[in-house]
Amino acid sequence: MGGYGDVKLLNDDGSRLDGRSIDESRPVEIKAGVIPAADGSAWVRHGLNEVVCAVYGPMEAHPRKIQLQDQAVIDVRYNMAPFSTSDRIRPGFNRRSREISKVTAEAFASTVMVERYPRSKIRIEIEILSAEAGTRCAGLTAASVALADAGIPMRGMIVGVASGKVEDTVVLDLDKAEDNYGQADLPMGIMPTTGEIAFMQMDGDLSMEELQQAMDYNFAAAAEMHDIMEAALRARYEGGDE
Amino acid sequence: MKGNQKGAEPRLVIPGEVISDHANLNPGCGIIKSTDGHIATRLGTLNNNEGTLHVQPINATYMPRSGDLVIGYVEAVLSNLWFLDVAGPFNALLPMSLAPWKVEFGDARNHMDVGEAVLARAQEVDESHSVVCTMKGVGLRKISEGRIVSIPVQQIPNLRGENGATIQSIKEASDCRIIVAENGRVWIDGDTAGIRMAVQAINVITMTGHRSGLESRLTACLAGGEV
Amino acid sequence: MASQVVPQLLRQYLANLAADDERISGRGQWQGREVELEVDCLYNADGSAKVVWGDTIVYVGVKFELREPYSDRPTSGSLMCGAELRPVAHRKYEPGPPSPESIELGRVVDRGIRESGCIDMDALCIVPGESAWMVIIDIHVISDCGNIFDAAGLAAIAALRNATVPAARYDVGEDYKLAVALTPIICTFTRVGGRYVYDADEEEELGGAERLSITLGDNGNMHSMQKGLKGTFTAAELSEILDVCATRCGELRELVDSKVE
Repeated sequence: MGGYGDVKLLNDDGSRLDGRSIDESRPVEIKAGVIPAADGSAWVRHGLNEVVCAVYGPMEAHPRKIQLQDQAVIDVRYNMAPFSTSDRIRPGFNRRSREISKVTAEAFASTVMVERYPRSKIRIEIEILSAEAGTRCAGLTAASVALADAGIPMRGMIVGVASGKVEDTVVLDLDKAEDNYGQADLPMGIMPTTGEIAFMQMDGDLSMEELQQAMDYNFAAAAEMHDIMEAALRARYEGGDE
Repeated sequence: MKGNQKGAEPRLVIPGEVISDHANLNPGCGIIKSTDGHIATRLGTLNNNEGTLHVQPINATYMPRSGDLVIGYVEAVLSNLWFLDVAGPFNALLPMSLAPWKVEFGDARNHMDVGEAVLARAQEVDESHSVVCTMKGVGLRKISEGRIVSIPVQQIPNLRGENGATIQSIKEASDCRIIVAENGRVWIDGDTAGIRMAVQAINVITMTGHRSGLESRLTACLAGGEV
Repeated sequence: MASQVVPQLLRQYLANLAADDERISGRGQWQGREVELEVDCLYNADGSAKVVWGDTIVYVGVKFELREPYSDRPTSGSLMCGAELRPVAHRKYEPGPPSPESIELGRVVDRGIRESGCIDMDALCIVPGESAWMVIIDIHVISDCGNIFDAAGLAAIAALRNATVPAARYDVGEDYKLAVALTPIICTFTRVGGRYVYDADEEEELGGAERLSITLGDNGNMHSMQKGLKGTFTAAELSEILDVCATRCGELRELVDSKVE
C-alpha cells in the first residue's frame, strides 16, 4: 500500500527518508538583489532546488496586441536550465514550463497593483538552476522577493509551498523521491499577510480531510517562509555593509 | 518619524506589512487602508508627512509628471517627431512644433538624431503615463558635451540636499556643472577628474542614500577618500 | 536581442577618456575586473562552475550522454557546446528563438575548447561504432554586464576540469574524473574610444566597437580567435593584444588550477 512499486518512503518511526518529520520543510536560504543587471532580483535555495529570478519593468508592452488599456501585463518566463535535472533538458520550447509560466503570471496579476501601470508590462524571469521537486514553488517565492526588490507595488508577497501524500500520509514539502513515488502533490501560492490563495494546482488522490491537512501544512509553512523572505529583503537594505 | 532624521535609522517596510500604529493618518503613496490599519504595498522607508503616511520606495521606476525637467535620449525619429527614452515605462514624444528650431517636414534628423541627448520638459502627461515633451523653455537644449549618469528617482532629494546644499557641495568639490533632472538622470560637465569625483558622490547616494549617516559618507567621499 | 540606442555622449566621453589613457571604471587599459570562480556548484550537473566577473554572472553545467558515434568517426566521442542568453540576464534580451549573439557565444567557446585538444575524443569511446560519450556544455548567462565571452569561457573550462563521467549510472563501469589535458582560456579585447582595452564592461561595450576574442592554450599557442561586431583593426594592434593575452590567460589558468583538484 502506498508508493509506486516497492519504494518505501516512510521509516518505521514515521520519519521520512531524509530524516524529516511529516510536517517539516527542507532548509531554505534566500538572498535579494543578486542580479546586478535587473531592476529587482532574488535567489532561493530550497532543499536541493536552486532558483534565481530577475524582474524588469514596468516597461512598454510590446507587441502592441499584448497591451492592456488599463493595467500592466505580467509577463512570466519560468525556465529550467539544461543542467538543472539529472537527465539533461534540451533547450527550447517546453510545455510544462509554458504552463507554469502562465499560472505563475496569473498569480502575480492578482496581487501586483497592475492598475498603476496601464499599457505597460512587468517581466518576471525565473530560471531553475537545480531541480529537486518544488521548483514552481521556489519560483513563486523568488519572484515575490524580486518584485519587492524592484519596488513593484503589491498587496502582499506570495509564498510558494507544497504538500503531498506518501504511503497514505499527508506530508509537507515533497522532495524528489516523494514527488516521483508519492500519491498526491499540492503546490500553492499563499499570501500569508491576508490568507489569500493566488496559485493552486493539485494532482493525485486526496480525500477531503487529506486536502484540508495538506492545506493546513501549506499555510503554516507559508508563514514561516514569509519571515525568511522578509529577512532577505531587510538584509539587503538594512545590512551593515556599505 | 521623518525619513533621514538625524540619528534614527528609518523604518523599512515590506509589501503586505501591516502598520498598526498611526492608524489615524491618511494613506499616501505606497500605503493602502485596511481593517487592521494600514498596509504597505512597496519596499521602502515609512514616512509621516503632515498627517499622511506614505512609503518612500527604495527602488521605483520614474513616472513622469507634467512640468518635470527630463534628460532624454533620442530613440527614433519620424519626419516630424522624436521619440525620447526618458527612463519611464514609455517613450516620450517631442513633436516638431515644440522643438527650438524651425524644422521642415522630413528634416528632423538633421537637427537631432538617434542617440543624441536632450534637456527637455514634460509638458503633458495622460492617465496612462504617456508624455509629450517640449524644448521651448529656458535652458532646454541638446546636450553635446559631458557625461550623463543615473540615480534612483527616490534619491533625488538626497542628491539635492536641504535647500540644494548637497548638490552645491558636490559642484564645488568637483568643479563641475551639474543638472539634476526629475527622471533620475544627472548631467555633469567638467574635467575628467572632476566628473569622476561627482559620479562617485552620486554612487554613494545611490547605494546608501536610504540609510542614516549619508552626510558624513558624502563628506568623506568629496574630501577624496574612498568610501 | 533588442537593439540598444548608443548615446553619442557616451561615445564622446569614452573617446575623451581614451585620449587621457583612462577608462570609466578607473581601470588600466589592460586591467580586468575582479573575478570569482566556484566549481561543483550545480547538484544535477556532472561538472559545473559559476563565474562572477564584475557584475556579469555565468553558470556552466557539463552533462554526459551515451550516444552512437557519428558514422564518419566510429571510434570517437563528441562534444557539444551551446549558450543561452535568456531574458533574465538583461533588459535588452527578449524571449524567442536563439539569437545570433547566443549562437556566436556557444560556438566561440566551443572552438577554443575543441581545437585545444584538451579532451581526448577517442578516450570517450566505449564500444567502437556503438557507444561513446557526448560531452555537453551548457552556458547559462544570468547577468550580462559586459564580457560574457570571457566569463563563459572560464566557467566552461573550469566545469570540464570539475567533471566526473557518470559511467555507473549508465552501467558501463565506475565513475571517473574526465581527463582534461590543458586549460584553454579566452581573453576578449574591445575597441573603446578608439583604442583596444581588455575586459570591457557594460558601458564600454555599449559605446565601443569591434571585439577580438582569443583562446590560448597552456603553451601559449592560439586555438581559436573571433573578431565580432563592426570595425577593423591592424596587425600591430593584434600584436600588442597577444602580448597582454598571454599574461592574462596565464593568470586565469592559475585561478582554475586553484579551484579544481
